[in-house]
Amino acid sequence: MRQPLVVLDNVVKRFGSHVAVKGINLEIREGEFLAVMGPSGCGKTTTLRMLAGLEDPSEGDIRLAGQSLVGKSPHERDTPMVWQSLALFPFLNARENVEFGLKMRKVEPAARRRRALDWLDRLGIGEFAERPVDQLSGGQRQRVALARALVTEPRILLLDEPLSALDAHLVIRMQAVLTKLQKELGITFVYVTHSQSEAFAMADRIVIMSKGEIAQIGTAREIYRAPINRFVAEFVGRNNIFTGTSQGGGHVETPFGTLTVSGERAKGTPVSFSVAADLMSVSATPTATNSIEAQLLSEEFVGSMVTLFFEAKDGTELKVQMPERSFAALPLDTSRSVYLNFAPENAQLLKD
Amino acid sequence: MSGQKARRTDWYALSWRVPLIVWQGLFFVGPLLFMIAMSFFIVKNYRMEAAFDWGNWIKTLGRPIFWDSYFLTLRLAFGATILTTLFAFPASFFLSFHASETFRRWAVFFLIIPFFTSYLVRIFAWQVILAQQGVINAGLSLFGLGPYTMLNTMFGTMIGYLTLCLPLAVILQTFALNGVDRRLVEAAHNLGCGKFHTIFAVILPLAKTGFVVAAVFCFILSFGDFVAPYYLGGSKPPTLSIMIIDTSKSGQQWPRAAVVALMMIVTLMGVAFSAIAYAYRRRR
Repeated sequence: MRQPLVVLDNVVKRFGSHVAVKGINLEIREGEFLAVMGPSGCGKTTTLRMLAGLEDPSEGDIRLAGQSLVGKSPHERDTPMVWQSLALFPFLNARENVEFGLKMRKVEPAARRRRALDWLDRLGIGEFAERPVDQLSGGQRQRVALARALVTEPRILLLDEPLSALDAHLVIRMQAVLTKLQKELGITFVYVTHSQSEAFAMADRIVIMSKGEIAQIGTAREIYRAPINRFVAEFVGRNNIFTGTSQGGGHVETPFGTLTVSGERAKGTPVSFSVAADLMSVSATPTATNSIEAQLLSEEFVGSMVTLFFEAKDGTELKVQMPERSFAALPLDTSRSVYLNFAPENAQLLKD
Repeated sequence: MSGQKARRTDWYALSWRVPLIVWQGLFFVGPLLFMIAMSFFIVKNYRMEAAFDWGNWIKTLGRPIFWDSYFLTLRLAFGATILTTLFAFPASFFLSFHASETFRRWAVFFLIIPFFTSYLVRIFAWQVILAQQGVINAGLSLFGLGPYTMLNTMFGTMIGYLTLCLPLAVILQTFALNGVDRRLVEAAHNLGCGKFHTIFAVILPLAKTGFVVAAVFCFILSFGDFVAPYYLGGSKPPTLSIMIIDTSKSGQQWPRAAVVALMMIVTLMGVAFSAIAYAYRRRR
C-alpha cells in the first residue's frame, strides 16, 4: 500500500459569501496519477490552486509528506504547476524558461543550463532550446511548460487542464507523453480536467467533484461501471437513468412498468438507478424482464462504436451503445418499435 | 491583400489621414524647416536677414558655455527621469497590484486633477512652499531647524520637474502594470521566485514597454521645460530652454536661438527613438 503524499483535511475555501470548496477530504498517494474531474465551477481548479499555495484554504489543513502547507508561501513549496495557458515567460527563450526554477534555487549557471537542455532533449524539443517561446507550436510550448515544471525534480506535479487548448490529435500524443513520464519518474501527478476522455485515458484514480464537494473517488472502471449518484451517472459515460418507487424484492415501479434490479430498497421508498448504454441490448420482441418499448431516433458513430438514441413511449430518451458491426446486423429502422433490455445485475442503484 | 488592390487609391482611408498630414505639415514640419533655414540667417542692426551662413552654428557650438548648458540640461533631464521613475514605481505598483478596483479608479482620477491647473500656477505654489520664509521652513523652525535654502537651487528645479512628470508617470506605469498577466506572476511564485524578486524577474520585464514610454515622456517634458529651472531653479546656471530665451532677447539673436532649439530637437529625437527601439525590441 502506497503512503499518502498529500492529505487534504476538511478543506474549505470561501470567496466572500461564495463557498467554492465545501470541506473536502482527500488522500493523494505517492506516485499516483490522480485526475480531478468535474464541470466548470465545481471547485477542482480552486483545490489545485490551494495545493500550489496560490489560494489559502479558509478552513482545514493541507499536508504534504506529513507537513502542513497552510501559511506557506507558494514560492516556499515544491509544488510546480502546469497552467492551462501554460504561463511561459514571453521575454525568455525555451531554455531560459526551463532554467527559471533552477535559477531561483541558486543552481549555478552551467549546471542549470545542462539540466534544462537535458529536459528539453528528453521531451524531444532540444533543437528549439534557444527559440523565443512565441515562435514555438502549441505542442512544443506544452513540452517547455512541462520541462519547466519538472526540471526541479518535484515529488508532485500539478496540472490545470494543460491539454484543453490543443488540437485533438495533439491531445492524444501529449496524453501518451504524460503517462509515460509519470510512470518513468514515479512522481505524483494531480491532473485537473473537465474532459472524461483525458481522465479515463491517463489516471490511476479519478476524483469527481460537483458543487465544491467530492462526489466519488475511484478508478476509471469503478466510476464508469458503478456511478455512486445521479450526478456522476449523468456526468460520466453514457448512462440511462431510471427513477421509480421500490416495490420490494428488487422490483421498481417506473413509467416503463415494473423493472427488476439487483439490490434491495425498503418498499415504498423512491429509487433511482442507472444502466450504462453499452449494457443495454435491443430486441424485436420483449424479453422476460426489463423490456422497454422504444423507437429509434438517431445514431451517432464513434469509429467502431455506435450510440443509438431511442425514444420511449413517454418521450424519455434512452441510449444504447454497441459495436458498429452488431448494429449493422440489426434489422433496425425508425418506423418500427423495438425493445430495449437490460439484466437486473447491470442496474446500478444511485444514492439520489 | 493582393498587390493590385493595394495600388488603387483608397479615398476613404485617405480622407481620414489627410487632416493629420495637413496638421503635422503646417504645425510641425513647416516650422521645423523654417527654423532650420533661420539657423543660417544673419542679424544686422537688430534685424534678421535671410542668408546661408554657418556663423551661427560655429559661434554657438564653439562656445563652452553652450556645452556646459547642454550637458547640465541633459543631466537634469536624465536625473528627473530616473527620480520620477523611482518615485512613481511604488505608487503604481501599489495601485495595480494591491489597491481595489474602486480605489484605483479614484487614484487615477486624482492623478489627472493636477492637469486641470496650469503648470505655471503649480510652480508658483511651490515657490510659496519652498521659500526662505515659506511653509516648509516655517514648519522646521518650530523644531529649531533651518531655514534651508531650497528655492533657486537644483533641488528646486527637480521639484519642478517632478511636479510636471510624476502624475503622468504614475498613470502610465499603472496602466503598464495592469497589462501584466497575473498568471505569469503566479507562475513565478510557483517556480520558487519570492514576492520581491518577482518584481525584477517577471513583472518589470513584462511591463518594460510601458515603463520606457513613461520615462521617455519624463525626459521630453523636463528636457524642454523652461518654467521649473527658471522659477524654482533661479535660472543659474541656465538650461538650454533658458538659453534660448536669453539668446533671442539679447540683440534679437533668433538664428542662434534656432541653433540651440535644433540641438535640443536632435537630442530629444535621438533619446526618444533609441528608447522606443529598446522598448519594442524583439528577441531573436
